[in-house]
This record gives sequence, C-alpha cells and structure tokens, in this order.
Amino acid sequence: MIQNVIAFIEHAKGAPRRVALEAATQARTIADALGGKVHAVVCGPGAAQAAHVLTKYPVDEIHVSEEDRFIEGAVDALETVARNAGPSLVLVGNTMLGRDVGSRLAARLDCGVNADVIDVRTEGGAVACIMPKLGGLVITTCAFAGDYGVAAIRPNVFAAKETPGTARIVQLPSNGKASAITVEDEVEEAAAQLGVEEASVVVSGGRGMGGPEPFTSLLKDLADAFGGAVGASRAAVDAGWISHGHQVGQTGKTVSPQLYLAVGISGAIQHKVGMRTSGTIVAINKDPNAPIAEFADLLVVGDAFAIVPELTKLVRDAKAVHA
Amino acid sequence: MSALKILVTVKLVPDTNADKRIDPASKRLVRTGVETVLNPFDEYALEAALQLKEQLADGSTVTVVSMTPAAGKEIVRKALAMGADDAVMISDDTLGGSDLWGTAVALAAAIKALAPDLVVTGTQSTDAIGGILPGMLAEKLGLPGLTYARSLAVADGRVRVQRETETGYMTISAPLPALVSVTKSANEPRYPSLKGIMGAKKKEIKQLAAADLGLTVAVGTDGAKARLTELATPPVRAKGTVVQAADASAGAQAVVDFLKERKFL
Repeated sequence: MIQNVIAFIEHAKGAPRRVALEAATQARTIADALGGKVHAVVCGPGAAQAAHVLTKYPVDEIHVSEEDRFIEGAVDALETVARNAGPSLVLVGNTMLGRDVGSRLAARLDCGVNADVIDVRTEGGAVACIMPKLGGLVITTCAFAGDYGVAAIRPNVFAAKETPGTARIVQLPSNGKASAITVEDEVEEAAAQLGVEEASVVVSGGRGMGGPEPFTSLLKDLADAFGGAVGASRAAVDAGWISHGHQVGQTGKTVSPQLYLAVGISGAIQHKVGMRTSGTIVAINKDPNAPIAEFADLLVVGDAFAIVPELTKLVRDAKAVHA
Repeated sequence: MSALKILVTVKLVPDTNADKRIDPASKRLVRTGVETVLNPFDEYALEAALQLKEQLADGSTVTVVSMTPAAGKEIVRKALAMGADDAVMISDDTLGGSDLWGTAVALAAAIKALAPDLVVTGTQSTDAIGGILPGMLAEKLGLPGLTYARSLAVADGRVRVQRETETGYMTISAPLPALVSVTKSANEPRYPSLKGIMGAKKKEIKQLAAADLGLTVAVGTDGAKARLTELATPPVRAKGTVVQAADASAGAQAVVDFLKERKFL
C-alpha cells in the first residue's frame, strides 16, 4: 500500500520549475492523508541550489544527486529513494523531461503510471489519479494497484505554497555509471522561458494572423504583458509561422491555463481538444459564427490587428497599477 | 555498416477529426460514425523510419509492430502500403485492458524477439495523450531512449537526434541499438501510392498471441498496475458572451472589463 510521496524536482540551472514546487506542495497533502513522509529528489548541475529553494517547501527530506547523466541520472536517483522509502507515489511534472523520467522509473519499479493528472485522491488508503482523456471529452479515475505509482501532474493545476519546513538535505552518492546518451549541444531558440504547458496565461494565434510576424510582436507583446506564453493553432504551425513546440491541439500540446486568449483562431475540434479545459477562454475573431463562439466565455468580434495592441496597452496599465 | 533492422510501433485510434462523444448510459465512446485510423503521431515515426531506410539504401528494413485487436489488420496494412516491409501484430483477448505498464511489457517482449537495431515510435497517441510509452518501452528493452526527436540520423553505429525542448532543441546521440520517438516537426508523412497499396497485399503480417511472448507476469485487465475505476463526462462549457466591437478601443475595453470581472486584472 502506497504510503510516502516522492516529488521529482525539475529545475533550470538551479531554479526549480513551478510545476516542481506544485508537486512538492501537493506531495505534503497526499502524504499527510496516507500518514507517510515527503521526499524530494533534485538532480544534475545546480541541484544544491534548487535544494536550497526547496527548503522553504513542506518536504521532509531533500535528496540531492549531482549526477549529470541525461534522464538516467534522475531515474537512478528516484529509484534509489523510492526503494529506500518503501511503498510510494512518485510525482513528476507532466513536462517533456518529467514524462521521460517518470515513464522509465515506472518501468523499473514495475508500477502503474498516470499522465496529465489534474487531481489525486486518497480513499481508504488507495491512491487514485483523475485525468482528462480524449481531449477532455471524458474524465477518468485510475487507481494504482501495488506498492508504487507514478503520476505526471499537469502544470498550473495544483497550488505551490511556501511553508516553513524542517527539511533535511541528504546527498546521494554517485553510482559511477556511464551515460548511454551523449548531450552534444543545447540551443535556445525562443526568448520565452515558459512553455505553453506551464504558463498560466496563453495567448494563441491562428490562421487569421496571416504570417509569422504577429507571433513575435502582436501576440508576444500581449503574452508578455500577462507574463504568459505564445501558443498557436495547427494551421499557423503547418504554415511555418511558428515552431511546433507552440502548437496547442490534438497533434500539439494540451494546455489548461487559467486564461486562454485565442486570437484569429476558429476553434476547430482539433484545436478545441487541446485547450477546452482552460479556466477562462477569451476569443478575438472577425467571424461571429466561428466554432469558438460555442465554447469561449467571451468572444469579441472585430479586427484582431487593431484590438490586440490596444488591449496590450490596457493590460500593461492595469498591471502597472497593481505593481 | 551492415543493414539496419528498424522497427516502428503503431497504434490504432479513433479518427482525430471526428467530434467524439460519450454515451451517457454506457459511458463508452460512441463508435458509430467514428472511424479507426492509424495514430497520426505514429505516421511521423513511420515516415522517419522509411526516410532513414531510403537514405541508407543498404538493404535496411522497416517492420511495423502493433498491439491491436485482429480487426486492426486493415490499418496495419496502411503502414505496409506506405512502405514498411512487413508487420507483426500482437492480437489476443487476454491483452485487452492492458495499462501502459502491461502494454510496454508485452510490446517489449515481442520487440526483443525481433532484435532490432533501432525502434522508432510516435511521441504520443491522440486518444490517451500520455507520452509515456516511449520511455517505458525503452526501459523495458534496456535501450537508450532519445525522445521528442525532430530529426534523426544514423552514422557509425550511432543515432543522433535533435530533441525538442521547451525553449529550443538539444542534440543528443547514443550507440545503437536505441529507441527514438519522433515529433511532428520531423517530416510530412507520405500518402500510400497505388503501387504501395497493391504491394501491401502481398506483404507478410505475422500474427502473435500472448502465449508467443513468453511473458512471466500477468498483463491485460488483471495485471494492470493502474486500473480504471471511473469514467465521467465533464460539465459542458456553456456558450459565453458575444460582443460586437464597434472599434479597436471598444473591443479592447470589452476584454479588459471581462478580465477585471474575473479578477485577472
């Protein structure tokens, strides 16, 4: 029976990603319900720095591994902690790295894995995950059978809350293994540091943008005003206006930000399934009969190229007042 | 370098363009009018494998592997029509209801027996959208997993890929045998040609049952480590407000008023 909770702390050069802090916070709630402990695992260059940030979160033990092996270093560290801790639930972020680490770990532990988890329930000692499937068409509940389970939690769904903690930092020794994968180089193409999956506000553009330029100016300015990320519909990505990493929809990413702004996006089913679980949906479109009218909380009918710059200005002003 | 044995995993999914719905009584997907198709993400994997085979032009082969009910044969044939050399189907009622772990265990057993040099998968399926199977499969096969590849190349016994990241990409490589999952930026999948469709009818589809896999653990519904206990339909999103913007500032103001009301500003 699962008792403890282990949070995998994904970080960028020592700065924990927000979803990692969400995992650490949620881990406490789950562990308290199960009567177990919370372990956090931080790996790679910058791990010590990330561990320091984590001491402000409600975890019991922070395991630090300086192992630099891509993916495998984290899987090894998590496996060691999981086997030492005994029956546990492992929380990873539903991000590219989180899914890679979580899936390999689940195969090693021979346990169940649930991805894109929006809620975790503990009833009678059993742990179950709640997940939307088929593009939000159904909400499934999957319970773990066995002593371990891996849950990849959707960013922005669980709260991250600092609590004065009494975490103990534990160094994990290196196991001296060689890496099967060689990292040759890493290139940052986008200025944005936040992916669409993680951003709490997403500003997306579609066919109505007419070219690549609005994605780096019009839409980006609005996204920046919110501290959010730029997304795109399949039409915009297929036209080559913006890279696939920004695509929201069936053949792209599934997002659920607090606020989704769809600019010049018709809202075809392909796109809808990737964003319909967003908190609030606002659309700007010249066509009042676009499918998005059926599920947007607000549709403003008009010329996006004229409205968006005005909107950006108003949002900046409003944010400045609060700042 | 000797010819490569390339394996591509494919899955069948409900048509992605259909507006699917759940029957409230049975809580199952209404399949009437919803066709089954090759998982679109797997088409990128297959295309990447076919392009690699064509580039190498050294007798390398592409084999399609699918864990699917027997009725999925026509879809597997589409993969053959696109250019795969042969296929292996793992069809068995006892595998029905397998979770991701069970699927990885069964697929890995079938793939191991084929001793491939390179396994190519899609990044996810359009129905489950887990993005989990590639990693699990790589681990069960004991292979390095180079996931989210937007390009791949093989040279001197190594596979090198550009892995997409949230902010750009990274170049990673590993010795063969290895597993690569391919994203949609990698290529534009081809359509089967008439010649390909005719030729596919003569290609071999090897049928495997669960007993052929030599499994030592229970998979399927009984062996599942993550068990579906409930299926619910989410509340339908109500149609919201539509505002006709008289001009740019009225349009912008309408959005701002709404965002203030919802406490975003």
